Amino acid sequence: MSKKYAVFITCLFLAFLGIFAAANAVTPDKDFSPMENRALAQMPELSGDALLSGSFMEDFESYVTDQFVLRDQWIALKAGAEYASGKKENNGVYICDEHTLIARFDPPANDRAKKRIDDNFGYVEKLAGLTDVPVYFSLIPGKVSVWADLLPEGAPNDDEGQYIARGAALQGPKWLDAATTLNAHKDEYIFYRTDHHWTTLGAYYAYAALAEGMGLEPMPLSSFDRQVVSQEFFGTTFSSSGVRWLEPDTMEFFVPQEAATVTNYFDGTPTEGQLYDLSKLSEKDKYSAFLGGNKPLTVVKSNVAPEGAPKLMLIRDSYADSMAPFLCYHFSEIHLVDPRYYKTSMAQYVKDNAIDQVLVMYAVNNFVKDGNLFVLGMAAK
Amino acid sequence: MVFSTPFFLFFYLPIVLAVYYITPLKFRNAVLLLLNLIFYGWGEPVYILIMFASIAIDYTHGLLVTRCQAKGNDKGARLAVASSVIFNLALLGVFKYSDFVISNLNALLGTAIPLTGLKLPIGISFYTFQTMSYTIDVYRGDAKAQKNIVTFGTFVTLFPQLIAGPIIKYKDLDDQLEHRTHSPEQFAAGVQTFVVGLAKKVLIANNIGSLWDAIKATELSGLTVVGAWLGAAVCALQLYFDFSGYSDMAIGLGRMLGFEFLKNFDYPFISKSVSEFWRRWHISLGSWFREYVYFPLGGSRKGKWRTCLNLLIVWTLTGVWHGAAWNFVLWGLYFGVLILCERVLWGKALEKLPGWVRHVYTLFLVTVSFAIFGVEDMAKLPGYLAAMFGFAGGGVVNATTLYYLRGYLPVLVISLVASTPWISGLVKQHLSVDRSKAGRVLLPVGLMAGLILCTAYLVDATYNPFLYFRF
Repeated sequence: MSKKYAVFITCLFLAFLGIFAAANAVTPDKDFSPMENRALAQMPELSGDALLSGSFMEDFESYVTDQFVLRDQWIALKAGAEYASGKKENNGVYICDEHTLIARFDPPANDRAKKRIDDNFGYVEKLAGLTDVPVYFSLIPGKVSVWADLLPEGAPNDDEGQYIARGAALQGPKWLDAATTLNAHKDEYIFYRTDHHWTTLGAYYAYAALAEGMGLEPMPLSSFDRQVVSQEFFGTTFSSSGVRWLEPDTMEFFVPQEAATVTNYFDGTPTEGQLYDLSKLSEKDKYSAFLGGNKPLTVVKSNVAPEGAPKLMLIRDSYADSMAPFLCYHFSEIHLVDPRYYKTSMAQYVKDNAIDQVLVMYAVNNFVKDGNLFVLGMAAK
Repeated sequence: MVFSTPFFLFFYLPIVLAVYYITPLKFRNAVLLLLNLIFYGWGEPVYILIMFASIAIDYTHGLLVTRCQAKGNDKGARLAVASSVIFNLALLGVFKYSDFVISNLNALLGTAIPLTGLKLPIGISFYTFQTMSYTIDVYRGDAKAQKNIVTFGTFVTLFPQLIAGPIIKYKDLDDQLEHRTHSPEQFAAGVQTFVVGLAKKVLIANNIGSLWDAIKATELSGLTVVGAWLGAAVCALQLYFDFSGYSDMAIGLGRMLGFEFLKNFDYPFISKSVSEFWRRWHISLGSWFREYVYFPLGGSRKGKWRTCLNLLIVWTLTGVWHGAAWNFVLWGLYFGVLILCERVLWGKALEKLPGWVRHVYTLFLVTVSFAIFGVEDMAKLPGYLAAMFGFAGGGVVNATTLYYLRGYLPVLVISLVASTPWISGLVKQHLSVDRSKAGRVLLPVGLMAGLILCTAYLVDATYNPFLYFRF
């Protein structure tokens, strides 16, 4: 190697490191990544304690990685390289046929995770014994089972069906079957291709099945004036997959905004909400337009329910946000409680708020992982 | 700190290179020592104290040995060597093996001695071995005691090889510590080695590592014969690319700072016997054990039975060096027995067989060994081995195995090819930058492509553990 050439190679290497090092130093830090839907690590505060414990160094490394210039583009490049190398999977997401992304569903990783599942079923069973009102229970299958046909051949996943069967066999709560209906409509657009949630149509079919199970007559699909509210929705699975070459999803509203008056409780004090928070439609996380996204407690007062309709408490995950509008036709009030953020006895809540019926509804994938369902097993005082 | 992070590549390394080259030659060791200590303390600041103690004690022992020898006091010199070895082994014993010993004692005697819960100081298995070699070399007259504690400290803490080797003997580095030259040729060579190492680690080892994780996590009842073999082979390849990638990065960084380290891997998977495999795998560890344990025990000069014993001792130690767990002991013994057999039983016969048979023989035994290495749960290991030989009832192959095979096939093919000297031979023959114009164009293109892809994988990665971190 000639000296000149060696200098060239050396400079090339140093320039590569230097340019990105300088760019990282110069570009202003971002607080939030809409793509990843999370707050990005910030420059950690320097203190003696943080230095000694090593937490400063750890935080600083996360800070450098999180604030790396062109972060989203690097992640997309990696996803592209993986796909080009023949992999049908990136960051725990299967890249499936028909522009569809499906998150991998892993079996419980260890005994603790197995016990959590046992416990969660136990809490639901216990809740039925802790209150006098009827307790309904439903587990929603995800794309990974309903759209299993689209998965890459042989892609390993845990079986959601076993958990659904287990839920159906519980003693105490009354089981509501959503899986059969969803499977019957699997050729329709019932899940977002790039998000883990169901579409409004999927939520409607599940609502219809649940309503029948509760002895109610569901509204016919034809009675709704379907509004397309976004054709540029890229969901959570899109974000985590890193895959950037897919078509966006379409989002619809079925039930009109005026069908209910909504009150949110972020911390205890009521704030005014809406069935649909239209401002979210211009953000990345468009699904949170339904009821405005995650929060501890939402009370939906129906303007369309028949006189004297009962009050429903819905213990739920985010799938319920897009189903709640349909329930307005049958319940005077729907109290949506998210145990992730609302940590008091559910039985007590039933008592305090004169609830007539309880529905525990979760996506299988959330139910098996949720570590907060112990509030279902807490007795009222 | 590890090399394969955006923080190291785009923050620490530029600072290191800038500071190092701005500093006048005379003070470069002092500056390097400081940079080494920051590198080491980055993960576990408190353990810098162990490093200081290690430097101070081994430095003193080196001088002590020289002084005793100058006075003709061989006994004193021997004592000093023994004291240094005891100190280093005690360090290793306390931090690496105490909990292993305690938990086995508890299980054996039914006692309830509490575990220490000490976190393993990074690289302790590497630097204790290096400092032991120092006092021994001084005693043997292979090296002169270092009078300058800064220079000695620089040797002990030299960051490129501090936390994952190669294990460098003081006598191989003493001249370079005192006078080393820096040239663009050496720097550019370092860049190439470093980028190759980075790509081995980030693009191959991490990549196929997720496949090994998935196979390892499979319930034994669902593990097929093909899956189990695929797993063991992937485990072997992952370790090779992870560890040799790290060694390459170390050698490359060393060159950028003016050092030349000896190579640590020499295409082990092309070996034609198990003994040869170990002459090509983690060379610096094998040569350390040979020089400081096997030969002093008498090597093969004290009769057949003693040779056998010596081999088994060395290989058990090599096993536990890799980790404080029974599977590593078993792994070491497995190699000990095989190397012994090649020596006294079938070595001669083996040499008469055609080359491909010897390859198959070696790869078969080596692949099995990495199942022992990789399945750390001793309760699961028999089941895994049974699955490899079709006794676990998981069948020969299933849809999941085929899914993995399909998805990973390109990476596996690349890693298999890259584990032979084939590509590097082709490059040397046809694309050498000295003789070929295409080579002169392809080298910078390849380097940039490698760096860009590695950066993409690193920015994306949450999956980036260094395997040899625990040893």
